[in-house]
Amino acid sequence: MKEQFKIALAQISCRQGNKTENIAKISKNISKAKKQGAELVVFPEMSLTGYVIKDEVYDLAERIPGPSTKIIENLAKKNDIHVIFGMPETNPQTEATLHNSAVLVGPDGYIGKYRKMYLPTHSIFEEKRYFRPGYEAAVFDTELGKLGFIICYDIYFPEVTRLTRLKGAKLIVCISASPGVRRAYFEILTLARAIENTAYFAYVNLAGVEDGLQFWGGSRLVGPSGRVLVQAKYDVEDFVTHEVDYSDIRPIEAFLPTLRDLRPELFDQLKHGAEQL
Amino acid sequence: MNLSADVLDLDWAEVDQRLCRFIKDYIDRARADGVVLGLSGGVDSSTIAALSARALGGRNVLGLTLFEKETRKSEDVSHAELIVKKFGLKSEAIDITSALEAFNRSAPLFDSEDKLNNGNVKARMRMVYAYYYANRLGLIVCGSSDKSETMMGYFTKWGDVAADISPIMDLYKTQVRSLARYVGVPEAIVEKPSSPALWPNQFAEEELGIRYEQLDLILFGFERFMKPEEIAARLNIKKSLVEAVKHRWLSAEHKRRMLLTAKLEYRTVGADFRLQRSPL
Repeated sequence: MKEQFKIALAQISCRQGNKTENIAKISKNISKAKKQGAELVVFPEMSLTGYVIKDEVYDLAERIPGPSTKIIENLAKKNDIHVIFGMPETNPQTEATLHNSAVLVGPDGYIGKYRKMYLPTHSIFEEKRYFRPGYEAAVFDTELGKLGFIICYDIYFPEVTRLTRLKGAKLIVCISASPGVRRAYFEILTLARAIENTAYFAYVNLAGVEDGLQFWGGSRLVGPSGRVLVQAKYDVEDFVTHEVDYSDIRPIEAFLPTLRDLRPELFDQLKHGAEQL
Repeated sequence: MNLSADVLDLDWAEVDQRLCRFIKDYIDRARADGVVLGLSGGVDSSTIAALSARALGGRNVLGLTLFEKETRKSEDVSHAELIVKKFGLKSEAIDITSALEAFNRSAPLFDSEDKLNNGNVKARMRMVYAYYYANRLGLIVCGSSDKSETMMGYFTKWGDVAADISPIMDLYKTQVRSLARYVGVPEAIVEKPSSPALWPNQFAEEELGIRYEQLDLILFGFERFMKPEEIAARLNIKKSLVEAVKHRWLSAEHKRRMLLTAKLEYRTVGADFRLQRSPL
C-alpha cells in the first residue's frame, strides 16, 4: 500500500441527462489527472448524468457494474489510475428501485460502489422520490490504502463518516451536488469530518447551473488536522491536485486522539434517543 | 426569529455574480442570441436590464419600451432611456395604444369603465410584443417580477409575469432596490414608487395597502416557516394584517403554477411528470 500519492479533484459541470457528453468530459479529466501524476481522480455526485434529471432518472440509471462503469473502467485501466464518480444505479433485483451511488474503479477494473444513506427530500431536493437509501458504509482496500465513501447530505450525519473511519479508511471521499445556498454549512462540515476522524477528507462538488440551481464548487482536500490543503474555485469548473500523505495522520491522532477516546456506550443512548424522536 | 430589516441584507456582489451566471447559462444552453425585456423605467426592469447587460453585453440585450397613452409618463420614458444609454442596450420604443384600441374595438364585451380588466389587457399586450420580438430575433424573454409581487399575486396572469426566465423572482422588492444600487441603477429610479402602469396614478404600495419595507419582512417570516402570531409580535403589528397577507399569498397560487388538470392516468402534465426545465 502506498503511503503517499497525488489525488486530483475534478470539479466539473454536467450536461443534464447527457451521458455521452459527461463521459467525454470525465475522460478528458482522467487524462489530465494522469498527466499531472495523480493516482486517484474524483468526480462529483451524479457526474455521469448531471444532478437535476428528475423523471429521466428511470431511463438514465444503470446497473453497477454496467455499460457506463465499463467505459470508465477501461479509461482507468488505460490510464493506470483510480477513478471515483457518481451515478444513478438500478437495483439488480428490482429494476424500478434506484440508488444514488458512488463508484470506484481502478487500474485492474471495477472495485466497488457505495449507495448514499441519507437522501435529502426537502427544499429543492426530492431524492427519496426516486432513490432507496443504502444501508452499508463503504470502505475499499486499494493500493492507495483504505478509501471510505460518503455522498453529499451524508456529511450532516457524522456517523456515516465515522463508520468508514472505524472500518479503517484514512482517506474519506465525499462526492457532492451542493447548491450555493448550502455553501456555508459544507465549508464547516468538511473540516469537522476531517478533524473528528483525524483522516484526510476529499470533497468534490459539482459546478455550473442545472435548472437554475447553481452548484458552488469549492472542492477541497482537507488534511487530518482540518487544514484545507487545496481548494478549487467557487461556482465554476476547476481541477486541482494535492499530495495525500498518510504519515501525517499519526502525529495528529496522537495530538488529538478522538478515536482513542470514543465511548461506545454513548452510541446505545444515541440509538435509543433517535428511536424515541 | 429576528425580523429587523437587516435579515434581508445579502452579499450583493455574490447575488450579482450568481444572477449574471444564471442568465448567461440559460442563454447559452438555449443557443439564443440574447434577451428581450420590457423596460418600464421602474426599478425591477432597470435592474434586470443592468444584470442582462452585465451577463451578456449590452448589444445582446433588447429593451422594449411599451408605453401607451393613458399611463405614459415622461419621467418613466426618460428613466427607460437613461437605462438604455447607461448599459449600452439596444432598444425600441413602441406605442401600443393603437393595438389596445384595436382590441377594445373588436371585443363586444369591452367596457371602458372596467379599469382592472383593461389594465390586464395592457400587461398581456406587452407580453405579446415581448414574445413577438423574442421569436423573430432568436431571443429569450427575460422577466422582471420580484418576490414580493409574485408572492402577493400582484401581477397579471399570462401578462407581466410571462417570461422564459425571471432572474430576480427570489428577491423581495426592498432587496431588488439594494441590488439595483449595487449594479448601478440611478437613485431616482431606485427610489421611485413602484407602479404596474395598468392605469394612471396606480401605485403598488397604495394598492397593496402596505409599505414594501413591512410586507417584505412579513413574507420573509412566512418563508422562514414562522407563524402569523410570531411575525405579528416581532413586527409589533396586528395579527389580522399578517393573516391578510398570508391569505393573499396562498390564494394566488393559481397564478404562479400553470397547467392544472384532473388526474386521470399514470403520469399527468403539470402534476407528476417531473422533467428538467433547462433547454436540452
